[in-house]
Amino acid sequence: MHNRTHKIDNSDGLTPLPMRPASQVMQLERLGSFHQSRLSFMRTLVRRMVVENWQVSSSVFDLDEQGYGTVVYQIEAKYGTFSYVLFSHYLDPENRNDRVIADQWDLTMALCEGTVDTEQLDFLRNNVPKQEAGRVDSRVLVLSRANRSARTFEYVINELASGRQPNVDVIAEVGYLYRTTAAYGSGKLGMADWEKVRTKHRDFGRPFAAEMFTCYMLRHFSMQQADYLAAQRAPKSAVSLHEDIKRYIGIGNSTGLGMAPFLINHPLLINQWIEMRETALATVVAASESGVDEATLARLDAATQRVIQHLGEIVTADERQNNANLLLREELQLLHLWLEEQGAVLASNHYVWASLTQYAEQHWHIETQEVINTLLIELYPELVDGLEEQMGVDESHQITPEMPVAELLEIIEDKYEWALAIDFSKYESMGAFWYRSQEKMEPRLGQTNIDMGMEKEMPLAVGRRVRECYDQIDSYNQARGQQNVAHFIMQNPTYSGIVARIQTMAQSHYGDIRENLVHADVLPIHLLRCKLSFFGVSKFDPRSRLWVRNTMFQGAPLISDFGKPFVDDWQFPIKPVLASR
Amino acid sequence: MKVSKNELMASLKKAFEGLGFQPGDYYNAADMVVWLETHGFDGFDRLQAALAYLNTTAPIHADLVQEDAHNSVLDGRGTSILLCGSEAVDLIRSQVMQGSGAGLELINCYNRTFVIQRLVKAAQRNLAFVAYWRQFDYCVKVSIEAGAELPEYETFTIIEAVEPQSLRIFCGTDLAVIEKQYAVQLEFGTLVETYSSAEMLACYRDSVEQGIEIDEALWQTLDDLVARILVESTESSRAGAGD
Repeated sequence: MHNRTHKIDNSDGLTPLPMRPASQVMQLERLGSFHQSRLSFMRTLVRRMVVENWQVSSSVFDLDEQGYGTVVYQIEAKYGTFSYVLFSHYLDPENRNDRVIADQWDLTMALCEGTVDTEQLDFLRNNVPKQEAGRVDSRVLVLSRANRSARTFEYVINELASGRQPNVDVIAEVGYLYRTTAAYGSGKLGMADWEKVRTKHRDFGRPFAAEMFTCYMLRHFSMQQADYLAAQRAPKSAVSLHEDIKRYIGIGNSTGLGMAPFLINHPLLINQWIEMRETALATVVAASESGVDEATLARLDAATQRVIQHLGEIVTADERQNNANLLLREELQLLHLWLEEQGAVLASNHYVWASLTQYAEQHWHIETQEVINTLLIELYPELVDGLEEQMGVDESHQITPEMPVAELLEIIEDKYEWALAIDFSKYESMGAFWYRSQEKMEPRLGQTNIDMGMEKEMPLAVGRRVRECYDQIDSYNQARGQQNVAHFIMQNPTYSGIVARIQTMAQSHYGDIRENLVHADVLPIHLLRCKLSFFGVSKFDPRSRLWVRNTMFQGAPLISDFGKPFVDDWQFPIKPVLASR
Repeated sequence: MKVSKNELMASLKKAFEGLGFQPGDYYNAADMVVWLETHGFDGFDRLQAALAYLNTTAPIHADLVQEDAHNSVLDGRGTSILLCGSEAVDLIRSQVMQGSGAGLELINCYNRTFVIQRLVKAAQRNLAFVAYWRQFDYCVKVSIEAGAELPEYETFTIIEAVEPQSLRIFCGTDLAVIEKQYAVQLEFGTLVETYSSAEMLACYRDSVEQGIEIDEALWQTLDDLVARILVESTESSRAGAGD
């Protein structure tokens, strides 16, 4: 228990922090504690849309009195024109299902290049509602779907129809009117290939930009539909949603195991994202080399208080998450007190951010540390924002065949010491396995020797594969001596994939996630949270160790805010306070 | 029907996995098919031909039967380049890194056109290649400059006997040096046809822009192979992930 006046000693003139080591960053629990940052894809997208003043208009708004029908938005972005086509369907609440295996939804939509004519609209109408069961073409960039929130949708419309604004406390419990369960891009189902999107459509040339935009437009529609339906029900008394409430409404998201294999199958990309985030952090820490002005300290304190309030407003039934949020609030409160009491002193201290992060590592929990890191990154947009252009990477793996096998052994001992330290002879070390279900190829986690499908295991157990490879190379090296990797592969071709991965990842800064992903107690939710933090979501609400609900774009500017003066400060949103009438 | 490059890669990787390919092999094999098809080399037709064999046997790789510092002979044992092409190119690359140019002969192998993609990929590591093989009554020659993204593809009349199912590869740091060093082996008859890099690039760009046309029967074949790696869904397997 820390007392109110606990000091953080940095009087010895600490040197700037280097990049945090992989051994610290690439632990699964830490990755699962990441929060969104300025480099998150939603934040980057919103900055672009607001500053570049993207124009959005509805060329088709054809909804019946119950809100079912077709809507087409036309978007004039900085470099191109796009169409967002949305179909609103009747869905029996009994059939509402967030799983990837669902086959009906309240809304289905597609983001398309250029304008959409009648013929194309008919084609989309015949295929978009089918989602994975249909096919689209290369004019489509993203395919998505969403379901209504049973708790807020009707409530909000009824309040508006009655001439009232909805109670912000009710909104706060959920945070959205619709929840998306998938946003497919990158060439699936006949859509435009990622290479086409990246090279032809500069507005969406960053990872997941098009998918995030699709969710943003869904948010816009959700509120437009709410206003529309309220007016339909009570033309004379209905009011529109207050703009401050609109900004507080996001889009719900439900993410399960389907996302998990991505982090394992795209290690170079994940490394790149993490490396850029860590670069931002190291840059910001170094920026306090000659002290920090009081205004910056005040901003950090204000941000800290806002996070404390934000966490207090999260509603989750998950006891573990609730306890984690409580603990986080307590520790951030200590940070707030420290800033409040020590402000003037800190302003003249060298490397004050290094002191802070070191103190946090020694005394506070991982999630608190990562929130602080996120808040520090927020303080220096001029130093950090340029990194958003470096979130992509060439993901090809290639063998270095001329490398002596002895050198490969040393690389494994250096970069994968965590894998070599795992005792795979214990049951729990191989107590789980990943497989693909016949149902839409949904990834699932099975229990070894209990669930069927072990013979069709997905190759996600990187640690175990590295271990097996190491043992095989070691035996080979002892028997043959002074051979190179090419000859090892000739004799042992089944190891070519893992050798390519080891050699390729050894050249990256952070490398592979340092976790046994087939341990009986593995928590895949950490994988999901890590990726979701890079998307930019907030308000994690775990439903099990395998899936998590969260909120996207809550607090973000509205389309009506585009082109206006903009403070890029909408993260960790808190309940708006409306002026009383 | 049309598919994107990404979608085709994803399906092919799983389909090859369904054929028993291991992680490195299925990725490389998918890469080879996609590259050939998107660059106008009838990748799908060649895939169909390969599947007829691959569906009958567990994966077989080549054996190293003879080797000195800069030359080697591999016996493909009747397997497809989809399985042995990567290891052959990796072997010759390793020999070049030790000094001068290198030569490799791969006998008893099929679907040799797929090797073009491996050579193109390896060329990005600043290595030059020349490869040739007999195809019916012609000799196919592929050459690629170090660092180039596209090869030269030529067919010649045959002037000397060439083993029907063999493939010769030469590798070095400079194409002109390879051509000179192995001038004797690289004598061919009359030039019959050239498929230019400009044509390959136009084909590739169209694939990216419009998607790739694939026969629905072949797509179904791939789906059937993918089904081999899927696990039957049960109530208990659905549990916990969202219900």
